[in-house]
Amino acid sequence: MSNAPTENAVDERIKTRSRFREAMIRPELGGMVGTVAVFTFFLLFAFDSGMFNSQGIMNWSTVSAQFMIIAVGACLLMIAGEFDLSVGSMIGFAGMMVAIFSVTLGWPVWLAILLTFVMCIAIGALNGYIVIRTGLPSFIVTLAFLFILRGFAIFLPQVIERKTIIGGIKDVAEGDWLAPFFGGKILTGLFQWMGDAGVIAVFERGTRKGQPVVDGIPMLIIWAIVLIIFGHVLLTKTKFGNWIFAAGGDAEAARNSGVPVNKVKILMFMFTAFCATVFAVCQVMEFGSAGADRGLLKEFEAIIAVVIGGALLTGGYGSVLGAALGALIFGVVQQGLFFAGVESSLFRVFLGVILLGAVILNTYIRRIITGER
Amino acid sequence: MTSLTKKLALAAAVAAAPLMAATSASAEGEKYILVSHAPDSDSWWNTIKNGIALAGEQMGVEVEYRNPPTGDLADMARIIEQAAASGPNGIITTLADYDVLSGPIRSAADSGVDVIIMNTGTPDQAREVGALMYVGQPEYDAGYAAGLRAKGDGIGSFLCVNHYIVQPSSQERCQGFADGLGIDLGDQMIDAGQDPAEIKNRVLAYLSANPDTDAVLTLGPTSADPTILALEENGMAGDIYFGTFDLGGEIVKGIKAGVIQWGIDQQPFLQAYLPVVVMTNFHRYGVLPGNNINSGPGFVTADGLEKIEMFAGEYR
Amino acid sequence: MNPEKAPIIQMKNIEKHFGSVIALAGVSLEVFPGECHCLLGDNGAGKSTFIKTMSGVHQPTHGEIYFEGKPMSFADPRDAISAGIATVHQHLAMIPLMSVSRNFFMGNEPVKKVGPLNFFDHDHANQVTMDEMRKMGINLRGPDQAVGTLSGGERQTVAIARAVHFGAKVLILDEPTSALGVRQTANVLATIDKVRKQGIAVVFITHNVRHALAVGDRFTVLNRGQTLGTAQRGQITPEELQDLMAGGQELVALEGSLGGTV
Repeated sequence: MSNAPTENAVDERIKTRSRFREAMIRPELGGMVGTVAVFTFFLLFAFDSGMFNSQGIMNWSTVSAQFMIIAVGACLLMIAGEFDLSVGSMIGFAGMMVAIFSVTLGWPVWLAILLTFVMCIAIGALNGYIVIRTGLPSFIVTLAFLFILRGFAIFLPQVIERKTIIGGIKDVAEGDWLAPFFGGKILTGLFQWMGDAGVIAVFERGTRKGQPVVDGIPMLIIWAIVLIIFGHVLLTKTKFGNWIFAAGGDAEAARNSGVPVNKVKILMFMFTAFCATVFAVCQVMEFGSAGADRGLLKEFEAIIAVVIGGALLTGGYGSVLGAALGALIFGVVQQGLFFAGVESSLFRVFLGVILLGAVILNTYIRRIITGER
Repeated sequence: MTSLTKKLALAAAVAAAPLMAATSASAEGEKYILVSHAPDSDSWWNTIKNGIALAGEQMGVEVEYRNPPTGDLADMARIIEQAAASGPNGIITTLADYDVLSGPIRSAADSGVDVIIMNTGTPDQAREVGALMYVGQPEYDAGYAAGLRAKGDGIGSFLCVNHYIVQPSSQERCQGFADGLGIDLGDQMIDAGQDPAEIKNRVLAYLSANPDTDAVLTLGPTSADPTILALEENGMAGDIYFGTFDLGGEIVKGIKAGVIQWGIDQQPFLQAYLPVVVMTNFHRYGVLPGNNINSGPGFVTADGLEKIEMFAGEYR
Repeated sequence: MNPEKAPIIQMKNIEKHFGSVIALAGVSLEVFPGECHCLLGDNGAGKSTFIKTMSGVHQPTHGEIYFEGKPMSFADPRDAISAGIATVHQHLAMIPLMSVSRNFFMGNEPVKKVGPLNFFDHDHANQVTMDEMRKMGINLRGPDQAVGTLSGGERQTVAIARAVHFGAKVLILDEPTSALGVRQTANVLATIDKVRKQGIAVVFITHNVRHALAVGDRFTVLNRGQTLGTAQRGQITPEELQDLMAGGQELVALEGSLGGTV
């Protein structure tokens, strides 16, 4: 027995794979295939509809960027093995807090924004702490916060202002140093030049006659790009990223190997809350008002984007780039169906088909990679 | 990989089928898009959909109805931007929140798309954002008129069943009603939610806690239908003074049965139908009415329900 | 035995009580560097409690632990791990969805500095993983191959190689062969043999006598919280060992054959 063959040759049952196939099989593959398919589809069916003029591109880019911001947080948290269903309510709540601090209480906008971030990240930490301490599924704990935060987002403004939408934030944000980081636009000069040069359309009438219809890249998109890069590097290139995978893959095994699983999970809840707050502050600064109904069902949209992007619902597997592509697919399909002239009630049908298709494809890819059975 | 590509091709074909049907069905002529703020669950907007569809058919123009599925106004702003980007002749939209929607609407108007504000908003706001006109029922005024009418009937307290608490115009209706009665709104407005069973139970709970309530005001079929059931259950049906905004199948029956004293008809059909007619004629012949159009309020009582019954939920 | 060497770990009269239950009633054991010490016993004999005491999960109620000649008391498993006592559990500390190299360095990630930032040094990790796996006789398709694609035996081997790489002096293997097929068991036993030859003390827990005899240098049998003696390789037949594990009547008769080491 002890003389068993130790130089075991390559197992003849594992098929050798070509380098090309090797390079293709990545967690993001589903997202990449989907992105190509979706763009091909809309280029064929909606090319002349305005979807690919400057306004149209800005429209679906902005919507996709919104999804991306919350998808990055949801993706990392899901890989760490947890869910956050309170993201949508957090968006409504955070926006409302900015409005109450700045408009109702009259505090400087930068202070309102920073305080909101601190509050929301603390709530994220509380979410995580409760999940860790009680051992309850995060599904239930964050579902409770879905109601609690939405309740406050309706209750507070009603008590304080007797209404559920607080406006006037644009006026108080005038001249603030922090607000433009969320509601501002960059490269406005470039777009003006493109407008003058006739590359993009300009307004035909009104006070802005002669200005380009798209006058800059909103900070929302910049935030999305920054968060995607940050999330991707954190997950794949750092020690902490390894811990995220480990915490979600098998928390007990990770603990045995000395990974601080609780810390990782709580930090990921905080990061998800941070992303939701970025979403909320960008929205509030762009539109100038906070409403109690903002962000309704956004938690599911984030989770859908993450799942389209190839992450495993039970944790331990996924990719930030995949989630970003999932968000792009989601945004482009949502807006693109309209450009293509499809009846809007069919949107959900398409969403369902895409979700199902993506999950099936991703499961197939994942099995190839991980040898799951 | 071949099985992958096969799957994709199949998926694309499946997805394309309804698309091609949709694009080939589009008529020649002008294109108008109606954007509402209502979530998918709000059945009242069916009349609006039928209204623009009929107008589109009669005028020979292409019409589309768009709404944010969850009623999120920030999503609605994106839909307006998108509608503008698709280059229609005109956009018909509600102005549910001036702060959120004024920017996208003004951009649309400035980029050469004509805009008519319908349903929610005020004539002043419509002028501000550069719209051609406003077609609808000023909410506060309608509530106020209803309040005056109820005061004449001897009402001193009421319950406002608000099923859409986050929509400011819903609150204006309640506030207007309270002001018409000359009383403070206070706690008389409840956040009923959208679920019929919840609405019914909240109304029951409020009325058992406050049995002296003189009147119930509901803001549409979503809150009126469960409220009718609640009143039948606690025996107050026909006894308590019951007024409602908007009409629907159950509301009409309620008026006929004497459970509901009156319904405020803002005639949504006109809000959808008239903007299409007005804009088509404006684009074809350059004619435009010189004023805003008030589609309501009209009080509907037990007298003259025939037409309403026939078309309730469809065109009324 | 290796009389020229001092035992790396000595457990003297270890008792462990859980309330009124006496799980260990005075167990003594010595493990020398480079030997494979098999700990045998039926279910409920106290094997798990004993190794948990050795690896710092439990603190003994009575008795002393000497590690490298010095008395030691481990407050928690981390103490034991940093002292060089590594445990490979029956349920592996391996995550199937993660690559072999990520698993290998889980909790001990190598770091490369780029400016002020620390990054996971994938090149180093991949290199080390491939080398260590080759040493153990496993040819990976690549360092990014997921652990889920490995067989049960290979996974055990990865876990053992990981413990060895991170400086284990005493390697506790808790039933590593219990769920494996014949060929995979052979691979794991071969791995144990390699590790022993590197001078690492191996504590091999099993209730399979044949597996124990294949690689063991010495055999200690636990029964009902007590040690029934330690035998050297070649001094005991499989049948005797089997009877010993079953405990009971043959105990007295067997004492002689155990060479007075009780």
